[in-house]
Amino acid sequence: MDFSEMNHQGEIRDSLDRILVEHCVPENLKNFDSAFKHDAELLSFLASQGYLGLGIHEKYGGSGENLYDLGILFEKLGFHAAPLSLIGCLAEVAQTIQKFSEHESHQALIASILKGDIHTSAILEPLNQDPENPLTRAEIAGDKLTITGTKYLSELASISKSLLVSANSDEGVLLVLVDKEHANVSELTTTANTPAFKVDFDGVSIDRSAIIHAQGRGLEALKYLLQTSMVMRSYLALGITEKMTALIAAYTSEREQFGRVIGSFQAVSHRAADCFIDLECLRLVSQQAAINLNTNHDCENDALVAKIWAGNACHRISYSAQHLHGGMGVDKDYVLWRYCLLAKECELINGSASQNIDRLGLNITANQ
Amino acid sequence: MGEMLIQLSPKQAKLKEELQEYFEGLITPDLQAELKDPEHFEGGGPEFKKAMRTMGADGWIGLSWKKELGGKNLSPMEQYIFVETVMRTGFPFPFLTTESVGPMIAEHGSDWAKEEVATKILKGELFFGIGYSEPNSGTDLASLQTKAIRNREGYLINGQKMWTSLANFSDYIWLAARTDFEAKNHKGISMFIVPTNDPGFSMTAINTLGDVRTNATFYDNIHVPESHLVGQPNEGWSLITSQLNLERLALVNHGPVEELYKNVLSLAQSTKINDNQYLIDLTWVQHNFAQVYSGIEALKLICWKQTWIMESGRLNMAEASVAKVYGSEFFIEAYRLLMEIMGELSLLKNDSELSILNAKLERMYRTASILTFGGGTNEVQRDIIAMAGLLMPRTR
Repeated sequence: MDFSEMNHQGEIRDSLDRILVEHCVPENLKNFDSAFKHDAELLSFLASQGYLGLGIHEKYGGSGENLYDLGILFEKLGFHAAPLSLIGCLAEVAQTIQKFSEHESHQALIASILKGDIHTSAILEPLNQDPENPLTRAEIAGDKLTITGTKYLSELASISKSLLVSANSDEGVLLVLVDKEHANVSELTTTANTPAFKVDFDGVSIDRSAIIHAQGRGLEALKYLLQTSMVMRSYLALGITEKMTALIAAYTSEREQFGRVIGSFQAVSHRAADCFIDLECLRLVSQQAAINLNTNHDCENDALVAKIWAGNACHRISYSAQHLHGGMGVDKDYVLWRYCLLAKECELINGSASQNIDRLGLNITANQ
Repeated sequence: MGEMLIQLSPKQAKLKEELQEYFEGLITPDLQAELKDPEHFEGGGPEFKKAMRTMGADGWIGLSWKKELGGKNLSPMEQYIFVETVMRTGFPFPFLTTESVGPMIAEHGSDWAKEEVATKILKGELFFGIGYSEPNSGTDLASLQTKAIRNREGYLINGQKMWTSLANFSDYIWLAARTDFEAKNHKGISMFIVPTNDPGFSMTAINTLGDVRTNATFYDNIHVPESHLVGQPNEGWSLITSQLNLERLALVNHGPVEELYKNVLSLAQSTKINDNQYLIDLTWVQHNFAQVYSGIEALKLICWKQTWIMESGRLNMAEASVAKVYGSEFFIEAYRLLMEIMGELSLLKNDSELSILNAKLERMYRTASILTFGGGTNEVQRDIIAMAGLLMPRTR
């Protein structure tokens, strides 16, 4: 048993903090509140400093295959409300290709991502509750695939060079890398202004070589992609809720009413303490899931538990923070409101707490 | 530093297996029958005493004690595994005597206490009740009023204690009494070993909701010699608070609730509700299990981390309090969710026809509330979390 971080992990945490504190100042964040929320300057700086290679094998120029390291990046992006949506690119695409691709051409894409290019995923579908069973179809005819279907919440699809798409076929589930030019991409407007897109494939014909995994391993690869995504989303939630809890502590230790700081009222401090408890739980279940996913590519229950805690913590801590700040919490000149919007997205994407409880319940009661 | 590792080492896993096997052998049908008797839920019966002496002879008592005191000096992680495994079996192991009072007496006691008391604790021959709380001193324990007046031959003790659990079969009370009446609250307290066979000692039973007996104990002009003082006079408070963290951690050990979860899960898997369906097939039943599962995962990790922190010698007050608050409140929720699954059958008592799982659910839910106020009430724990974890101002 060892809960301590390795030296390099502490260093990543500290240096990311230094970079992001400087970069994510309110004046800068404001620029992205209604514009396309993608800080290209920050992305290329992170690329130049090697941070996009966290969790990537050394042979691709990364710092080593460790999802815990990548988790630190997402935790910090969340903590500083950075205008970067990188789960699709860094967690879903890069990690899945690293683990499952056998093509050199696909692996080359990892190097491109490390340079700062966007290659994103197109996995989720409107009203499809089960992402492991996509409605999108890939018809196989000889060496060709024809893809038809609609995806949504694809991050940064408009500036993405390629899209990793899940589809059902006569050979089961496939993960296929499609050139962005083949897709119809239209922008959605989300609650936290995240650059999310609807992606239509209208009978797109591509080579069979676009399938990234060995024959018959599509479902396994998709499950890994979804679990990695859930766990990295939980880290993002961890950063967001850490920041909200820190804001609660700071604000209620300053704000005076009835001649004393409100943080000295038990009703206030106890609600803050409950946020701290949620945060501890979320941190531990996220760490467990990331560590287990490093060595075992199918840890669905650990990933579900992490995402369930992420959903609940995002919800509870967000409303506690808003409440304990009073009007300040909703004032757009203060910092909290951005975190509240991000928290809601984190809560619902990759399955809500209730949806994941349903899935976990099926898993733990089956196969006995 | 190596990679973060969140699992038991092979050696620890082996210890767990060894303990499981040992307890399977120790818990005979006679002992099982005795433990079903409400009089003996918490131990004290002849079979229980026999088992304790066997454990003493086999070297399973005093695991946390230092080697030079006759113990095995197990690490906090191994102690956690011991507590977990014992609690899963349902054997009412007297942790307070063996793991809390015992090592303190062995370390700080007089020659008499070391030879007569500590040795017998290691042999499983001697039991303690804890005399801390009083009618007017609970959460604010340092305000306690039981007096120990110094005289030529020792101390004269007068007062009353509440919730003196296990006093009904204990040989001694580990008693906190005031010895300095001028000093600030916690600075005037000393610790004593008080024999329960003294004519000045008496008790009345307090029967609780969970059918766990506890006691009000009375100390009427009990004279104890100097040798019954443990540690220095007026320095009892540090003895009270030392090891308190391990004790709190033992209270929220994840073993028993995980065992209960497994019991109810296998029962639901084998319970037919109609020609085609088992209880487990119902969606809401699966949801309840999933809620409990995700809660246990967090509890397990909190406890493991807390134990690991102790191992490295660092103490984190906020995280210790997180364990206490989260664990105690989760138990209540978990028992509710599991009882919902078995529905009205959960209401049937042990001697009833149709009762399930030896009425474990029916009994456990009645004991659940104790932990949210016992072992340091959760309000105080939340105060600590806000202060030590979030650096918020002290509550006034």
